[in-house]
Amino acid sequence: MAQVEKKAGLLRKSSASKKPLKEKVVLMYDEIFAKDDPAKNNPRFWEELFLMRVNLEYLEGKLESLDGDDLMKIKDNVNSLFHHCIQALGEEHQIKVVNALQTLCALLWGVHQKNKSTSGFDIINMLMGFDKAELRMKDLMESLDTLLCGEGSESLKSLCLKLLLCLVTVTDNISQNSILEYVMINSIFEAILQILSTDPSRRQHGYDAVVLLALLVNYRKYESVNPYIVKLSIIDDETTLNGMGLVLSQALSEYNRQYRDKEEENQGGFFSAITNMVGSMFISDADEKISVQTNEAVLLALYEAVHLNRNFITVLAQSHPEIGMMSTPTTPVPTTPTTPSSMDVMNSAELPLDPNLQTSNLLITFLKYSSIVMQDTKDEHRLNSAKLCLIILSCIAEDQYANSFLHDDNMNFRVNLHRMPMRHRKKAADKNIPSRPLACAVLDLMVEFIVTHMMKEFPMDLYMRCVQVVHKLICYQKKCRVRLHYTWRELWSALINLLKFLMSNETTLLSKYNIFQLALQVVNLFNMFITYGDTFLPTPNSYDELYYEIVRMHQVFDNLYCMVLRLSTNTGQWKEAASKVTHALVNVRAIINHFNPKIESYAAVNHISQLSEDQVLEVVRSNYDTLTLKLQDGLDQYERYSEQPKEAAFFKELVRSISLNVRKNVSLNTLSQDFLLKEFSSIS
Amino acid sequence: MGDADVDQAPAASEADLHESSADSDKGLHTEGNCLGVISEGTCELVIDPDVALKACQEVLEKVKMMHTGVSTEEDDVHCSDHLEHMDIHDELVNGETCDTHKTEKSNVYTDGNSINSKLRHSKASAPSKIREEEEPLPGSCNTVKNVRRRQKNNSAKQSWLLRLFESKLFDISMAISYLYNSKEPGVQAYIGNRLFSFRNEEVDFYLPQLLNMYIHMDEDVGDAIKPYIVHRCRQSINFSLQCAWLLGAYSSDMHISTQRHSRGTKLRKVILSDELKPAQRKKDLPPIAPAPELGLSPSKRTHQRSKSDATVSISLSNNLKRTASNPKVENQDEPVRLAPQREFIKSLMGIGKRLATLPTKEQKTQRLISELSLLNHKLPARVWLPTAGFDHHVVRVPHTQAVVLNSKDKAPYLIYVEVLECENFETSNVPVRIPETRIRSTRSVENLPECGITHEQRASSFTTVPNYDNDDEAWSVDDIGELQVELPEVHTNSCDNISQFSVDSITSQESKEPVFIAAGDIRRRLSEQLAHTPTTFRRDPEDPSAVALKEPWQEKVRRIREGSPYGHLPNWRLLSVIVKCGDDLRQELLAFQVLKQLLAIWEQERVPLWIKPYKILVISSDSGMIEPVVNAVSIHQVKKQSQLSLLDYFLQEHGNYTTEAFLTAQRNFVQSCAGYCLVCYLLQVKDRHNGNILLDAEGHIIHIDFGFILSSSPRNLGFETSAFKLTSEFVDVMGGLDGDMFNYFKMLMLQGLIAARKHMEKVVQIVEIMQQGSQLPCFHGSSTIRNLKERFHMNMTEEQLQMLVDQMVDGSMRSITTKLYDGFQYLTNGIM
Repeated sequence: MAQVEKKAGLLRKSSASKKPLKEKVVLMYDEIFAKDDPAKNNPRFWEELFLMRVNLEYLEGKLESLDGDDLMKIKDNVNSLFHHCIQALGEEHQIKVVNALQTLCALLWGVHQKNKSTSGFDIINMLMGFDKAELRMKDLMESLDTLLCGEGSESLKSLCLKLLLCLVTVTDNISQNSILEYVMINSIFEAILQILSTDPSRRQHGYDAVVLLALLVNYRKYESVNPYIVKLSIIDDETTLNGMGLVLSQALSEYNRQYRDKEEENQGGFFSAITNMVGSMFISDADEKISVQTNEAVLLALYEAVHLNRNFITVLAQSHPEIGMMSTPTTPVPTTPTTPSSMDVMNSAELPLDPNLQTSNLLITFLKYSSIVMQDTKDEHRLNSAKLCLIILSCIAEDQYANSFLHDDNMNFRVNLHRMPMRHRKKAADKNIPSRPLACAVLDLMVEFIVTHMMKEFPMDLYMRCVQVVHKLICYQKKCRVRLHYTWRELWSALINLLKFLMSNETTLLSKYNIFQLALQVVNLFNMFITYGDTFLPTPNSYDELYYEIVRMHQVFDNLYCMVLRLSTNTGQWKEAASKVTHALVNVRAIINHFNPKIESYAAVNHISQLSEDQVLEVVRSNYDTLTLKLQDGLDQYERYSEQPKEAAFFKELVRSISLNVRKNVSLNTLSQDFLLKEFSSIS
Repeated sequence: MGDADVDQAPAASEADLHESSADSDKGLHTEGNCLGVISEGTCELVIDPDVALKACQEVLEKVKMMHTGVSTEEDDVHCSDHLEHMDIHDELVNGETCDTHKTEKSNVYTDGNSINSKLRHSKASAPSKIREEEEPLPGSCNTVKNVRRRQKNNSAKQSWLLRLFESKLFDISMAISYLYNSKEPGVQAYIGNRLFSFRNEEVDFYLPQLLNMYIHMDEDVGDAIKPYIVHRCRQSINFSLQCAWLLGAYSSDMHISTQRHSRGTKLRKVILSDELKPAQRKKDLPPIAPAPELGLSPSKRTHQRSKSDATVSISLSNNLKRTASNPKVENQDEPVRLAPQREFIKSLMGIGKRLATLPTKEQKTQRLISELSLLNHKLPARVWLPTAGFDHHVVRVPHTQAVVLNSKDKAPYLIYVEVLECENFETSNVPVRIPETRIRSTRSVENLPECGITHEQRASSFTTVPNYDNDDEAWSVDDIGELQVELPEVHTNSCDNISQFSVDSITSQESKEPVFIAAGDIRRRLSEQLAHTPTTFRRDPEDPSAVALKEPWQEKVRRIREGSPYGHLPNWRLLSVIVKCGDDLRQELLAFQVLKQLLAIWEQERVPLWIKPYKILVISSDSGMIEPVVNAVSIHQVKKQSQLSLLDYFLQEHGNYTTEAFLTAQRNFVQSCAGYCLVCYLLQVKDRHNGNILLDAEGHIIHIDFGFILSSSPRNLGFETSAFKLTSEFVDVMGGLDGDMFNYFKMLMLQGLIAARKHMEKVVQIVEIMQQGSQLPCFHGSSTIRNLKERFHMNMTEEQLQMLVDQMVDGSMRSITTKLYDGFQYLTNGIM
């Protein structure tokens, strides 16, 4: 990142040094900013202008120095400039097209800078004039479409996308950007799809295209009919969807790779730190250093694809070799919308031959990414990322097709999730992870999250989502009688620990959240296991173990029961919520009350003070028949995810922050694109 | 025609006589198995066996006298040989009509000669008709005339031959035999022409023999065969490719320098260059003819498609190709006839080669799955599996179902292939691609089969128990009537949501009564359900194929069909194939042919032996494909997974000793065991460990892997000296040494051996021709054929044969070497 800035700075300087010379183009800009029609004296003015190399800095500076009123005075000339830019896009001479594109970027950018408060309509008026706006934008979009789909130079296409990104992100709140109304009418959706579906263009522009699409989809998402939403939701062309999946997968795995590199870097330092200091408490510090900036734009694109397009689910399971492990030349920072260069592993018809290469797919990459992002939810970006990850997982866990491949016994993968280094546990050796169906990896990730986030800044919302994901998976298993060979015990003990945490922090948590919702979810998960265990547990023993775990940790349930009973009997605000939990605890309590005396008497009869696990299991096994359970309703039902109205605010904020980020990078990029011009000037 | 007529006049009358002789032969044979045919006939005429026998013997006498008079040449020995067996061929050739013929002929002998002339008439017309078909064939005129002329020259013996050739009894097996044995170019040329008159399937069986003769025998044989091959190549892409592959494979043993210029290599080049296109294709396919003008007519597109798809690019859907035009392939009409299929096979082999480089099974499996998912992008195309018995196009490879098979250093793998049956894969349109994603519309949430039991069922199926838990404490606080039903707040967004709430909750809400269930019931259900499916194998990363092969075929088909975007089509079929790369399948092919021949013989002789020849496709001398035996797992896998003895496994799978299921399975086991024991003995199949013997769901055993047959044996360790593998475990399944089934087993073997002996020539012929020019280890040494013939024991009486069988069975039972060999395999390959 710093490097890019430096580069840009250098370029700035060099162009600044030329300033006193007053290039011809600068003189011409000055003419535009004068009140008279520049073409009056020189009929070939506009033609000449676009042959000139753009001086973006000057142009932007000039525009930024004008406020609304000043601008209105030279409105005709600005309109003219805009008009001629669009006309130049149709030119055969590529240098003119390039210059026009860059000028447009600067124009859009410059006008918005100073007039952030101005309403969108005024800006349209300033740039194009109300009466002409529709026609101008139609021409512009059509030209861009032609350029993007044509056989022209790739750098040219890249510039087109930059212009579009610039156009989309000029306002902080995308929905207030009235110019986009014209982008809605004159769709460039098809052009984006074509970029994604053809190989060389995907490699070079896929990232920009995907981000652009994600942003466009979020334009007035909730207020009006956004044609991009409609169109995105009905694509069923495999090549396009796969292309999109590849771009996302590439971006995510690039992040994973960077993280791993940093982690490895830090590990060296960390170990030397350990040798120096005894009783190190620095693990969390070391951990904080390992933070690669998250990239929400990619996640948003993934979310929109998964959420809007049912067909995209199949792409998640499309296997391809693990991209991150491929040849790892120095790759550009993924947060800039320049296209990562090491993109195309997939496009060669044959997969590369490397025995060390793990097969991967978008879902695996996503799970790994999530495991990294979820480790640390302290800053807002990461919290948002983690939330979005969980939302995406919810969508996936609800989908029947996704579930069918998550639970497919034939699709086994080793998924190395990142685990937070914690003092009380050893870092699990990566190599020992068996190859299992993907549902196991999802469950692992959820268990990992549950175990690692019991902290003062309790991410309540994330916990709810996390437990819901588990619930959705189990509902599928129950419904389709899938017996996943998963060590459910880990999940059970994680959930019980969660309950324990909720109770020990009751007062602090209750002041902020309704913890009973979460407690109810957790208890109901246990109810699923207790009453429907026969339909999805892998072995009879696992059912015994469930009882063992409940009986072993009976104190937690006892305490929970006491608490909810207390709160449901007095008339506080939690009365109703707490009483729900009371009812949900019926079976758990029945089990505890049934087996505890039996175990005690067994111990007494056999004169054993401490029963072994096997002995307890034996007691459990021999006393099932006298235990009666109550069948509870609605255990296998859940509320399906819907974005509106609950999540609308979140997405609005998210899109705003993504817009800012993208804008920052685009402007950086357009400035540092002088090399492009050189390419074209040498051609022409 | 003139020549032929002259020849035919006397021939016909004599042929008549011979037919009667043949029939008389039949009469003799009626003592044996063939008697059944006649006695089973529906005719009311009862034949007096004595009269028939007498008549037959008379005719036979005459025939024998003539034989001694005329036949001196080798050909004629064969000829008479064949005449003696003609009854059998007759039956083969005529098939069902045979019965009526016989009854008719029986009439002749019992009622006098009145119908004789009529019969003669019908018989004589048949060969001439065949000839009429032959004449107009390209290039055949001259040779046919040549043949005629030569035949005229030494008319005496030739007439014998000609009469044989032109009789209906002359079948493909005889044709091949004469082609191979005869030194007369005329005879060879004649048979070359005669090939055209056989049904394609009949000749196809002997294609390896024909091509091997073409490659390795002298010019004349080659010239005789070539027109037929060329003709068939023009007709069919499949035949062209089969020929090209076989030619390549069987030329590979030649020295590299001679190979390049050999006839076989040249023919192969011609075929692959696709010069052998059908000459009048346009006339053949009128519906396609108007296509070129339209540019984007369906047939045109499919053609283009199949090319581009099979080579590199993934064709773009049309709506996206807005600006780009695609002029490249437009005008090339024909050169892609063979290309798609060749590319398809090539990519399958490529996968195998790459898999071999990976160290672990798990990596191989994962790799295989991802490779196949890429392959899927190029389908459907005009490609097919040559091992299938019907015309089809491959539309999809369900990649997640593919498994890597157990092999130490190579990577054979098994794939399942979804195909759409069609009328003719060359002319029918290639099916349109249905995107993988389309499955979502057909199998959305709503249609998903509800496997779980509903709430109602659940409540009723559990014994609803009274609440006799003494611990009232647990319930005291609960006011059951007040129990609130927890329902999600929002559930009206779409129809999806509604379906998500399964029916159970809605129904149970109505009955407000709380439902109690016993925990013991849940636990019991769980263990019962798990016990109920003992037949699935555990997943083992080191043996990924075990689970896949154990799954019943029908179930697999149903499952894959459900998950396929093409599954709803009525002509959807599932095929499977094993792709072998790095293995020479020529011996397998030879074994397949012999097995097939033996099976036909046993069927014909009505010996209820059971063997399962599985199809082999030789693609080159080190690659090919095998049709997997469905519903079968290796005995090694059975034992390893079940940890039971074979008998206990039978009891577990089929039921107790007295159940019909068990008895059927046991009978199947015995019949297949006897069949394969004979096969193993006759072919000297070695390397018989439990990994190479499959057990199918009906109890049959199936031997696979014929890598060591005839003169070759693994590593020449001198192990496995017994005639075949018969372990005490096998005998246990048969019910022990004293059981009836064991005697039945020995009896079956004896009958099978007698039947095989009767038709020895047909078996030996297959092997003998393939020995020509071959370096295969199974032909090592000079005595392969002689030893093979000896194992038929032509000189033994049936009593002696019976003793031989007893001896072999005893020997195999007592044989330590078999046990030793199993131990050896366990130590070296981990095979139980």
